[in-house]
Amino acid sequence: MKERFASGYNDFVLPFMLSMIFILVYLLVAIIRVIIQLPPKDRKRYLLSLINPVILVKDIKDIICDVLLHVKIWKRKPLLGYMHSSIAFGWFMIILIGHIETFLYVPERAGLLYYPIFFRFFMMETNHTLQGALLFFLMDFFLLVILSGIALAMFKRIRSRALGMRRTTRTTLPDKIAMYALWAIFPLRLLAEGFTAGISGGSFLTKSVWLLFSNFLSNDYHILPTWWAYSIALGTFFFCLPFTRYMHIPTEIFFITLKNAGIKSWHPRKGYALAEIYSCSSCGMCIDACPMNAQKKNLKYSSVYFIRFLRRRNRRKMEEIADKCLQCGKCVAVCPVEVDSCRLKLLSRERHRDGKIKADYTYLQRVNTVEPAEKRPKVLYYAGCMSQLTPSIGKAMGSLLDKASVEWSPMDKDGGICCGRPLILSGRREEAQAMIQRNTELILASGADTLLVTCPICFKVFREEYNLPGIRVVHHSQYLNELVKSGALKVEKEDTRMVYHDPCELGRGCGIYEEPRELLSKVCELVPAGHERDESICCGGSVGSITLSHEERVHITDAAVEDLMTNHPQEIVTACPLCLKTFSPRSAKKVRDLAEVIDRCSTSPEK
Amino acid sequence: MIDFGYGLTPSSAIDLDKMDRTHFEILIRREPDVLKCMACGSCAASCTAGVYTTMNLRKGILLLSRGQEKSALEQFRSCMLCGKCQLVCPRGINTRNLILSILKTYSIQ
Amino acid sequence: MNNRNVVIIGGGPCGIEAAKTLAKLGHTAFLIEKEPHLGGHLAKWDRLFPYGQKADEVLNKITSGLENVKWFVDTQVTSINRIDKSYNVILGNGMSILADAVLLTTGFSLFPAEKKEEYGYGIYDRVITNADLEHYFAEGNDHRIQYPKKIGFVHCVGSRDEKAGNRQCSKVCCATAVKQACEIKEKFPNSTVYCFYMDLRMFGRNYEDMYLEAQKKYGIIFVRGRVSEVSEKQDGTLLIKAEDTLSGKPLRVSLDLLVLMAGMVQNSDTAKFAQMLSLNIPEDGFFQSKNYFTAPGVSSKKGVFYAGACTGPKTLPEAIAEGKSVALTIDEYLL
Repeated sequence: MKERFASGYNDFVLPFMLSMIFILVYLLVAIIRVIIQLPPKDRKRYLLSLINPVILVKDIKDIICDVLLHVKIWKRKPLLGYMHSSIAFGWFMIILIGHIETFLYVPERAGLLYYPIFFRFFMMETNHTLQGALLFFLMDFFLLVILSGIALAMFKRIRSRALGMRRTTRTTLPDKIAMYALWAIFPLRLLAEGFTAGISGGSFLTKSVWLLFSNFLSNDYHILPTWWAYSIALGTFFFCLPFTRYMHIPTEIFFITLKNAGIKSWHPRKGYALAEIYSCSSCGMCIDACPMNAQKKNLKYSSVYFIRFLRRRNRRKMEEIADKCLQCGKCVAVCPVEVDSCRLKLLSRERHRDGKIKADYTYLQRVNTVEPAEKRPKVLYYAGCMSQLTPSIGKAMGSLLDKASVEWSPMDKDGGICCGRPLILSGRREEAQAMIQRNTELILASGADTLLVTCPICFKVFREEYNLPGIRVVHHSQYLNELVKSGALKVEKEDTRMVYHDPCELGRGCGIYEEPRELLSKVCELVPAGHERDESICCGGSVGSITLSHEERVHITDAAVEDLMTNHPQEIVTACPLCLKTFSPRSAKKVRDLAEVIDRCSTSPEK
Repeated sequence: MIDFGYGLTPSSAIDLDKMDRTHFEILIRREPDVLKCMACGSCAASCTAGVYTTMNLRKGILLLSRGQEKSALEQFRSCMLCGKCQLVCPRGINTRNLILSILKTYSIQ
Repeated sequence: MNNRNVVIIGGGPCGIEAAKTLAKLGHTAFLIEKEPHLGGHLAKWDRLFPYGQKADEVLNKITSGLENVKWFVDTQVTSINRIDKSYNVILGNGMSILADAVLLTTGFSLFPAEKKEEYGYGIYDRVITNADLEHYFAEGNDHRIQYPKKIGFVHCVGSRDEKAGNRQCSKVCCATAVKQACEIKEKFPNSTVYCFYMDLRMFGRNYEDMYLEAQKKYGIIFVRGRVSEVSEKQDGTLLIKAEDTLSGKPLRVSLDLLVLMAGMVQNSDTAKFAQMLSLNIPEDGFFQSKNYFTAPGVSSKKGVFYAGACTGPKTLPEAIAEGKSVALTIDEYLL
C-alpha cells in the first residue's frame, strides 16, 4: 500500500473533522461539569475508583459487554440485541481496524483523526497488498454486519414487534435527523469505498460494488462526491449528537465508570443524574415493561419520556410522570443501561413538593404498641398497616409460629405506627424519620432478636432505612422457608396447581425470588406465570403511585391477573398483603398469601 | 365606637351563602376524587393516625367542602400517608393524593 | 289461536310467574332451572320483609298451578342457536326445543362475602352472611351461632363498592338487615344488636314501620358508619372497627356474631347467556333492557326477553310483577 497524495489531505474531510472537534470539546466540558456537580464525597470516590485496578477491570468488562456487545439486550430480546451490537461493535471494529491499517502502512499519519476513517481514499493498492487481505476482508465483513444492523433498524421503525418490542419510542426531530444520518453513513461508505476499490483495493463487498459500477459508471468523477457525502453524513451525525438520543453512545462509557464507583443519584438532574439522563438511549424497552401501559393512553408515562422531559427541563410534564409512577421498578430491571429512573422520579418528588402545611408527628412519642410481655420474645411480628385489612395473613402466621413453637409476640396487633415507606415514596423522606425513630425505639425495647415482617413494603424500609443493631429483619417467605428446612414445621405436598406472584417490593425491591418458590414447591405444583421474577407485573395497588386513580389501577390489575393465569393455575399465591387485597376482587381464582398456603399444608413436628 | 365590653356572638351556623369555595375548587382540580366521598367513614375507622389524633379524612373532606377550613386543616398534619384509607374506600378515592393535594392547596394561619 | 313455544331460563319466582302466565295465554312454556328445585333464592329464605311472611308459603302459592308448564330442574342450557325467527335451545338432558321466544329470568347471585377479606368471612368462625342466617332461621342450627350476646350487621357488603366491582345499591339488604336484626333479637332477647349502615334505604310501604319497630320494640342500635376492619381476639370474639360518622369519632365494639349483608350481583351465568345470544352487557354485568320505562322486558335481540333481577336488583314483588307483565309483552310479540 502506498499513499495516493503527498499532502494526505482533501477538503472533504472537513465536515467530519469539524464535527469531531466539536463533539470532543462538548464531551470534555460535559464530563468536567458532571464531576464538578458531584458532592465532594462522591467526587473523591469517583477519582479514587479510576486508579483502583479491580474497578477498572470491571469498567472495561462492562464497557465491552454493555456498550459494544449489548449483552443485556441480547439476553431479553436476541434480535434486538443483534441489531444494537451489530452497529455498535461493527462500527467499533471498523474504526479499530482502520487505525491498525494506518499504523501498519502509514505510521506517520497515525495521529490524524480522519485518516483511519477515510483510509481507502488516501491509499492505493500495490503489489504487496495481499499482506492486507485479511484486514481488507475484516473491514468488508464488519461493514456488512453494520449494514445488516441498519437494515434491521429500518425494519424496526416499520414493525417493532418483529424485534420483540410491542411499542417503540416516539422520536423527536433532532433524533430523526441523526437517525437518517446514521442510516446513511454506512451505505455511503460502501458506495465511496466501492468507487475507490479499483484504486485502493477491497474485499468481497467493496470489490463487488466496484465491479458492478465499473460496468456502467467507469468515470472517476464519482469518487469525490461520494466521499464528500460520506463525510457530510458523519459530520451531520456528530454535530447533532448532543441534541439527540445518540448521545448515550459516548455518555454510557462515562456512566459505567461512575456507576462502578458506587455512586448513586442524589438530585434529579445534577451530577450522576445528568450522566444517567444522557445515557438513556431511548431504546423504549421500558415502554413495554411499564404496567401502566395496559392502557394505551398511559404510554406517555413511560420512563423514557420522563427522562426526555427531565433532559429538557420540562418541570410540569416531568412531575406529572414522576407522580404517576408505580415505583414497581420493572423499567429499571429491563433497562439495558441500568438508568435508575424510579430513583430519579422519587428524587423529583422530593424536590418538587410544595406543601404549605407542615407535618407534625410529635404524637408518635406517646404511642406504645409493644405489649409488656412476661417473657421477652425471640421474634417480634410486625404485620403492618395493610395486613390489618387481610386478616388471613395474621391468623395464618400466628398459627404457623405456634406450630413451630417459636416464642413470639405481635408488635401491632391492634394497629401500630406506619413503617414510613409510604411517606418516603411520597417524597417525604425527612418526615418519615419520625416513624423510623419511634418504631426503632419500640423494636429495641421489645428485646427481640428477630423482626418478622409479612409486608414487603415494610420489609424494604426496615432493611434499608432502619438501624437495628443485633436484630435480624426477615420476611415471612424467608422465615417460613427456614422453619420448614430446619424441620420446625412439617409440610405435606398437596395436589394444587399454583402460580406465585412476585411482589414488586420483595422481588425487584429486595431481590427475594428464590425463597418463596423453594417453599411453595414443597407444598404444591408451582406453574410459571407469563412474566416472572424481575419481569413480574405490578398488581396495580402499589403505594408508589401518587396520582394513579382506582379506575386506572383496575386495568393494571386485570392485565397482571391475566398474565398469572397463563398456565391455568387453580390458585394465585403472593407474599404481600397489598397484592392480595388488590388481586382478590378482580380474580376468578382464589388469591392467597404464602402463609395461608403453608398453614394449610403444615403440621407441628411433635404431633 | 364605644366598647361596651360585649359584642355580637358570631353565629356558629354554617352559612352556605357566604361560603368561600375558592380553595375547594382548586382542590377539585388537583384531585377530582374529592367529589366522590359518600361519607361512609371507612377511612376514619381504619386510620392509623386517627387512633391517637383527631385525624379524620371523612370529616376533613366534609368541612372543606363547606368552606370550614379553620377546623378542618390541623388534623392533616398527623397523617402518615400509609394508604390504608385508600385501600378501604368503597368509592376508590385516591386518598393519598387527596391529602397531599390538601396540604398543597391550603395553609394554616 | 297461535300456540307457540317459549323457553324461560331461570326457575325463580319471576320465571315461574312468567311461565304460568304464558301457559294461561295458550303458549307452551318450557321452564328451565339449573338447581335441583324451583324457587331460586326464595327457596333458601326463611321469612320475608316487611311483614315477616314465611317464604315457603309464598313459594307454595307461586308454584301452584304449574300443571300446564313443562318444567325441568337440574337442567343446564348447553347452547342456543338462532334459526330464522326462532331459537334452537339445547338442554343438558339432551332435549332440544325450537322456541319462538326466549325469556331470561336468570336473576342474581349473592356477592361472595369472602372477597372482602377485611371482614374475615371464611377466616373467622363467628362471621356469617345474611344467607347463612336465613338458613339458620329455617333449619335452627349453625355451629357458628352459640347464644351470641352481641351481634352486628354490616350493610352493603359488596354493594356500593367500586373495589368489589359493584357500584350499585342492592336495594333489599337494608330492609333484610333490619328484618333479620329484629328476628335474631327475638331469638336471643338478652342480646345487643347493632346495625352498621351507610344510608338506610327504607323505600317501600311499611318498610319505615319496620325500621321504627326495630328501634322502639327491639332496641336495635343503629350506627351510621361502614365497618372497615374486623379482627379476632384470643377468645374468638370479634373486634369491629367503624367510624361513628354522626359523632365523628372512631368506634370499636367487640361482638360474638357478625352478619354480613351480601348484596346482589349479576348472576354468574349472565355472561354465558350473553355470549350465546350475542347480547351486550354493560359494565355492571346486568342485562340492559331496551327502554327502562316503555320496554323493560325487551332485549336488543328480536325474540329475547328479560324479567326480574337479571336486569338489576329487584324486590320480590317487583320480580313477580315483571314476570307476569313480560308474559303479555311476549304474547304481543308472538301474535
